[in-house]
Amino acid sequence: MTAQLVALLVVPGGAFVLVCGLVYEWLDRKLVARFQNRVGPRWFQPAADVVKLLAKEEIVPSGANALILNALPLVALASVLTAALYVPMAGLSTAWSFNGDLIVVLYLLSLVSVCVGLAGVTTRDRFAIEGAGRVFTQVFAYEAPWLAALLGPAVAASSWNIADVAAHANGQWLVVTQPIGFIVAIVGLIGKLELAPLDAPEAETELVAGSLTEYSGRGLAMFRLAKDATFVVGLALIAAFFLGGAADIVSWLLKTVALLVIIALVQALFARTRIDQTVALWWRIGVWLAVLQLLAIGILHQVGL
Amino acid sequence: MPESALDRAETLLDSSGRDANRPEPNRLDVRVDPKDLLTAVASLMDARWGYLSAITGLDNDSQLEALYHFCSGADIVTLRASTDRADASLPSVCRLIPSAGVFERELSELFGIDIQDAPDTSRLLLPDDWPLDVFPLRKDTDVSNVPSVPVLSQPSEKNRFVVPIGPQHPALKEPGHFEFTADGEVVTAASLRLGYAHRGIEKATESRSWIQDLYLLERVCGICSHVHALAYSLGAERLAGVTAPPRAQAIRELVSEMERIHSHLLWLGVTAHEAGFESLFMYTWRDRETIMQLVEDLTGNRVNYSANVLGGVKIDIDAARAHALLNGVDFLEQRTRHYLEEVGGDETFLRRTRHIGIMSAHDAEVLGVVGPSARASGVLRDIRAEAPYAAYLQFPVEPVLRHTGDLEARVLARVLELFESYRVIRELLDNLPAGPLVARMPRRIRAGETISRVEAPRGELFYFLKSNGSEHPERIKIRTPTLCNMSSALHLTVGRYLADVPMLLAGVDPCFSCNDRSVHLNVAGDTWTWQQLSQHAREFYA
Amino acid sequence: MLNGALDRIRAWAQINSPWVVHFNSGSCNGCDIEILATFTPKYDVERFGVKLQGSPRHADVLICTGPVTRQARDRLKRVYDQMPAPKYVIAVGSCALSGGVFQGCYGVVGHVDAVIPVDIYVPGCPPRPEAIIDGLVKLLGKLEGTAAHA
Repeated sequence: MTAQLVALLVVPGGAFVLVCGLVYEWLDRKLVARFQNRVGPRWFQPAADVVKLLAKEEIVPSGANALILNALPLVALASVLTAALYVPMAGLSTAWSFNGDLIVVLYLLSLVSVCVGLAGVTTRDRFAIEGAGRVFTQVFAYEAPWLAALLGPAVAASSWNIADVAAHANGQWLVVTQPIGFIVAIVGLIGKLELAPLDAPEAETELVAGSLTEYSGRGLAMFRLAKDATFVVGLALIAAFFLGGAADIVSWLLKTVALLVIIALVQALFARTRIDQTVALWWRIGVWLAVLQLLAIGILHQVGL
Repeated sequence: MPESALDRAETLLDSSGRDANRPEPNRLDVRVDPKDLLTAVASLMDARWGYLSAITGLDNDSQLEALYHFCSGADIVTLRASTDRADASLPSVCRLIPSAGVFERELSELFGIDIQDAPDTSRLLLPDDWPLDVFPLRKDTDVSNVPSVPVLSQPSEKNRFVVPIGPQHPALKEPGHFEFTADGEVVTAASLRLGYAHRGIEKATESRSWIQDLYLLERVCGICSHVHALAYSLGAERLAGVTAPPRAQAIRELVSEMERIHSHLLWLGVTAHEAGFESLFMYTWRDRETIMQLVEDLTGNRVNYSANVLGGVKIDIDAARAHALLNGVDFLEQRTRHYLEEVGGDETFLRRTRHIGIMSAHDAEVLGVVGPSARASGVLRDIRAEAPYAAYLQFPVEPVLRHTGDLEARVLARVLELFESYRVIRELLDNLPAGPLVARMPRRIRAGETISRVEAPRGELFYFLKSNGSEHPERIKIRTPTLCNMSSALHLTVGRYLADVPMLLAGVDPCFSCNDRSVHLNVAGDTWTWQQLSQHAREFYA
Repeated sequence: MLNGALDRIRAWAQINSPWVVHFNSGSCNGCDIEILATFTPKYDVERFGVKLQGSPRHADVLICTGPVTRQARDRLKRVYDQMPAPKYVIAVGSCALSGGVFQGCYGVVGHVDAVIPVDIYVPGCPPRPEAIIDGLVKLLGKLEGTAAHA
């Protein structure tokens, strides 16, 4: 019982995921800053940001439903933290596991984006509603390819259970046999997190803050934490599935950080694509590639390879 | 002897105008009765004589006078129409020159001249809470304590969307308003509402001395401060019959080109940011620091250089500074080559710029578009070449022309222009004339009128100066390039799709302080924000 | 005891994460471009935890330029009101302090603190990016001082 509580709240659950999220946010911002020839933030910056937000006055805009407004960030954070429990973290095996948990985890991860979108819809702010529309459009664009990409290793392992897939992938670097899936998964994660160049929902960030325009204190803090946690869980999933699993903490750290570096590079290198272009691109190309790959894997699997 | 352009104009205006005279070698003034105004304008436009560059208002005691300035190369034809103060009224020329609307609105609200048949009579510059019957630029108006009147909510307020359209970056955000009425996807009317940066500068110049005004006018715009001061100084000098010495003129040109470099790099970074190319924004602004440093070493300030004095300049260049400047220019040229590759070759950037927001040469010409925006459509408008000032005769620049007229062309026009600036800076430094820096200027400037035009980074900057023999100017009228370009860009949106609007507006490199704008969007009773408009544009072109 | 510790943590976070919203109340843009420059590589205020926000609701510090034109006055007030507490204001440039060279012009109110309370005044026409950062750091120092004495 105690062991379970520790797993739930500390490691590899709750606290670990949140702390890791903050560290990875820092790493990402620092790398992007260095690529842009700047110094960048100090190591404790993300933590300071969150604490500051928690201490800010929360203004509920008129016309908005306070209950929903306060609940959505909590739901988002809770979803991703729950999802984290089923994904191998820190070189440990998953805290919990059941058959089909891959689907549940992917669902929970998309729930975060949905909450962000709903947040925009709930407030009456024009900018927020506009941002919400784009969030949903982006979700629509990325869920299918992201799903298809992660299903590849699942098919190879003949299982819907993340722990099994991770175990099967252990030692096998599926990035080699499923390169398209790997790329699609990375891009999918970038889209999910609305990082550049796929940050169209936040595109006019300076002019408006997209869906979360009307949030001020705690709500904003929790959404940020949820995003950071999604980052960690996403990296962990991709590392476990494509980069040969992560049996110990060192290799887990190395692999997730390597992925982070790639993502930071992508952020710095490209101009923002228009949202319509990304949707078009991924529905026309990404999904088909991912599906083709899936079929290929499926066939090979049946044939016994 | 071939007929000069001014001669031709004089002939064209023979029947509708009177009292033609040449106050300066390049200027023709013709008096026109209000009832003949449209005929006069039509004769010029039909013969394609120039473009309407500005409309100046004057208060001549019993009468109010409107001056319509048409420019063709270095020549300027001014139609002067007077109307009684008590019942001031003039016909609108918008039927012939659609982009004249903003000029007329300005004239109307600042002088109280009723413009008949004007398509748009709403407020342009004065604040919403300004009383309707107070006309600041009339000589008898006391502007020291103008009361605030309650702001009437406009009847169609609920059908309008006030969308703060920021410029491309929040730090440069300046509120201003564009007003669009759309029927479905098609824009049916477009209008401009400025006013957030309206400080009342023109009026203030009348109560300050010629010297004090130099420092005031430098601050019309922080991005193109030097050219404002330059246009003003050149005009004041011409009125006083003073010519600044050659070394001063050369240094003026040098600083102008350095300003152009900083301004174009600024715009490039901001445009990159708009396209989501954050890294390019960071790099261009990092490199821009080079020119900022050089400017500071030379003039003492990074912005608002104050290099000009009436009669010349107050800064000098020694060998060490010249050397540093040459090194800096070399570095910047190398970086600019890199940027050229980026903007010309990067797929994602091109998708935001190629074939977007096309403006034809004909439209650019007729609507009076100026600067790189015009040159990007193949229209050769560059005061440095057409009407050389400062030292541009001895150290000319070759205007850069592009012909596709899309946003990509506008980007390229500015980037390529940078190379010309680098080249001419080197030439200036190699051949800087020796001599004094200042010519003596009288404190009182004898009565007269003059027009001073210079090429700001954004295009033709137009100054009309009138002196009355005293220590204070009688009137200074400023027409900034952005006003022309915004007005034209807006006009072009009519009949086009809403989705075209963002790019059309972004491409003219709006100088926010010279003008300010915001967006009202009335789309079938629905309110739209700028973001929605942008989004709409993207979806439309998906 | 616990309260004191929480207060100190809160103060530490506020000092180290000053998110900024920028407002131009009618300036010539000189100050604004120098403010923007502070986000670029040579000056990089992200080092201090500063992030430029689009919505006043996400900001702790309002950086205001310009002599406050009559037209901009209400909007300035509105932006300030929308910011959640605790909030601070930095007025940048001579115009924001006193109207600068536009004193007496009919379109201007004259100075930012006629409309909203100002915590830090950064003089200059325009102030250099270093001076703007100095103003920001002084604000953070002021906050630190207040927290220490709390």
